[in-house]
Amino acid sequence: MSDRPSITMDSQERDYIQHLFGKHVSWGQVRYLRCAHLDVYERARNGGTFTDAVSGQRFYDCFSSAGCFNVGRGNPKIMDTLRDALDEYDMGSHGLLSAPKVGFANKLAALCPGDLNKVILCTSGADACAGAIKLAKGATARNDVITTNKAYHGHEGFSLSANGKDYYKDLFLPLMPGFHVVDFNDLEAVKRLAGKNIAAIVLEPVQGEGGIHVATREYMTGLRRICDEHGIMLIFDEVQTGFGRTGTLWAMEHYGVIPDIMFTAKSISGGVYPNGAVVYREIEPLTSYVEANPLFHTSHGGGTDLGCVVSSAVLDYLVENKVWENAAKTGKRFKDGLNEIARANSDCVKEVRGLGLMIGIEYKYEFIGALMADCLARQGVWAVFSGNAPQVMRFQIPITASLEEVEDLLKRIRAAVEAMRWYLIPMMPLARMPLIRTLFDNVHVQIVAFNLIRDIEEFVRGVLGLRKQGVKS
Amino acid sequence: MKKTSKSTMPSNEDYFRQAEKVFSVSYVNMLRAKGHAFLEQGYAGSYTHDAAEGLCLDCYTSGGACNLGRKNPAIIERFKQAIYETDQGNFVMPSQEKALLARRIADFVPGNLDCVLFGVTRGESMDAACKLVRGFTARPELVTVDGGCYGESGFALSLSAKPGKEQFGRLIPAVEVIPFGDEAAAAKAIGPRTAAVVMEPLQAENHCRRADARYYARVRALCDSAGAKLIFDETQSGFGRTGTRFFFEQLGASPDILIIGEAITSGMFPMTAMVFTPELKRFFDIHPLIHLCTFGGHDLGCLVAMSALDEYERLQPWNNAAETGEVLMKELVALAGKHAGTVVSIAGKGLLVSLKLGSPDMAVRFTAAAWRAGLLVETGRIDLSTVIFRPSLLIGAQETGRIVEGIAKALQSL
Repeated sequence: MSDRPSITMDSQERDYIQHLFGKHVSWGQVRYLRCAHLDVYERARNGGTFTDAVSGQRFYDCFSSAGCFNVGRGNPKIMDTLRDALDEYDMGSHGLLSAPKVGFANKLAALCPGDLNKVILCTSGADACAGAIKLAKGATARNDVITTNKAYHGHEGFSLSANGKDYYKDLFLPLMPGFHVVDFNDLEAVKRLAGKNIAAIVLEPVQGEGGIHVATREYMTGLRRICDEHGIMLIFDEVQTGFGRTGTLWAMEHYGVIPDIMFTAKSISGGVYPNGAVVYREIEPLTSYVEANPLFHTSHGGGTDLGCVVSSAVLDYLVENKVWENAAKTGKRFKDGLNEIARANSDCVKEVRGLGLMIGIEYKYEFIGALMADCLARQGVWAVFSGNAPQVMRFQIPITASLEEVEDLLKRIRAAVEAMRWYLIPMMPLARMPLIRTLFDNVHVQIVAFNLIRDIEEFVRGVLGLRKQGVKS
Repeated sequence: MKKTSKSTMPSNEDYFRQAEKVFSVSYVNMLRAKGHAFLEQGYAGSYTHDAAEGLCLDCYTSGGACNLGRKNPAIIERFKQAIYETDQGNFVMPSQEKALLARRIADFVPGNLDCVLFGVTRGESMDAACKLVRGFTARPELVTVDGGCYGESGFALSLSAKPGKEQFGRLIPAVEVIPFGDEAAAAKAIGPRTAAVVMEPLQAENHCRRADARYYARVRALCDSAGAKLIFDETQSGFGRTGTRFFFEQLGASPDILIIGEAITSGMFPMTAMVFTPELKRFFDIHPLIHLCTFGGHDLGCLVAMSALDEYERLQPWNNAAETGEVLMKELVALAGKHAGTVVSIAGKGLLVSLKLGSPDMAVRFTAAAWRAGLLVETGRIDLSTVIFRPSLLIGAQETGRIVEGIAKALQSL
């Protein structure tokens, strides 16, 4: 087999790719994704959709790699920019200056509110999170950090220590001491901990992996006040919420609260080249610290020449098209539509939450996450439940989506929920029994059970020669 | 959004003033002191370029990333096509690109290191390795050697000897640092609580420091008898830099986990990886998606890396690195003899060579003098008195001569 990606794949080729992935990366990942019908091989990525190379089915991309494709997938302006940049640049020499690096950093700072004027270029969200926490610790000469339950900031050592779900941490202990986890939106808990030992409070304005929990205005203004009183650095993680996702360029704009440090990544380079950044206020003690320690956090793959050319083009595209206004408009319609679905299914749906085009539906039981992903996939909707809250299905379509696409999506989600109800008829009464519910919620049980169902289904489909129905191209 | 950015084309001096404002004055001053106050552009092959000074032989290659030269034409050509074939992909999904690259890496790396977890920074890959050994062995302790440099992330920084890291408070606990090359210390430290021993087999940023070959075999044996794992970071010594595909091939000791760096794309795409044994992969089979990296295994990056691997296989640059490195080392040893009062020592392997000078200040002044003599070089990050030479692995006799000539001029000017 050649190293070029196949436009289409037959089941034999797919099996070979699965075999390679299982052998060299993880069989567990293959089986886990297959159980929720998320084992799709993407091709023909275009705007808000892609095609499965095996089935030919077209899917709405409701995950967008956790919000990486804000400018739409396969955006020709961004792709052409990268192609043309290859005539001039590679990653560039780490540590040296170039026109793309300086130009992008300036452009980014100019788009950040208030005195968020200073930039540290990074490679990824986790790398930027590490940079932000190090900046706060170094500048304040304090050790401790307050973070929130269900928070997700990445998987390297600093960001993992700040993670709000034990599942991701327990097998790797001990992590960094001095990280205090409190409930999201609980200002009193922060007040109790605030003191001279706290370097920073880190949070996402809207928790993504945590299950689309939106910070309240009172909470955010209260955090700002507490930080000012105690000399604590307020850090916002805008990795998923940035670049227009929530209906404003930055989620912080909803609150009128400016953090001392903000970090971002994902959509910063339109899903074609890694990049990331820490942006911090031009205030003491931050500027003095960085002037005294200009290499306190260096990032080899961050702020590369190619990455900065691409990121500049992404910023231009976002600003020229005011893409966040579209996110606000279509996000409102999407959320209203999901609320209608929730009201009609109040026995299994708990709540709809979100800002702009960062929306989640919370079901009443964890196991519904995988079940719903499967039902959605059968309707041509590729959606992933939250890593830190499997009962929440996240919808983060590219924010260039049109109202017509949102209406079509809602129609498909309605059909998926209706299909899911058939599964729930036998499952819901059983799920009321604690032991059975524990079994249903167990990820290993889900993997075995749903893979078995997929095996039977594929066998029957093979015998009957059926094909799947997806989005019309 | 309340500010506006200027749209007029800035001059070079404008860029420097902007860099002082948006990054820091001290950072720009540091570049000025090293003679690196220029805007890098127009680089290609073995050379980088400054608009004012013209072509300059690149002996930095972004920390040994651009092993196949700057903007390798074959990789660029494939990269341009690949942009229209794929993008980043949804990171949780298996993909054809990831699967094919994983197989290629397994074929490229010697021994039974057949499994891959992709990363985007060296530090993240090191953190993943530390997590994997803790998770797999259910033991907490990480033993490392002094003088290491593994990256800026939480675990990596905790293991590194980076000056000033104490500013970040208490880092990852259960890390024991032992003297590099000390077999007795290794025997004392490695025990039933040890998850892994972590080291760069050749410490590039620390005057290319390495131990006797016997040491690595001894540590390997100690790990085996204690049930601990051995992690080698070959971010800088890998992909032919020291005269073999990986430096560990020269040591008679294979690791359980190998960290590889941006040389996998020859500096065209931020990608790193942790390569490990099938035995360790069982952990990820049981705990799928327990370690995630959005940009790790970027589908477009995978296609770029595969084209780079094609070039590595076609050119086999480790052969040239071994031969040219030997010539370069002989010339530099002779040169050091003429500048005995300035040069403390020379160390290295293949085309990874370190020059130790009398002080950190002298090393900074040397980089500035080297730039004036037509060489881009960088100082060491652990041993600040060193200057490291890591040119493209494709340089020929002419470039080797230029390096020697440039070093001679720079030493003369000190």
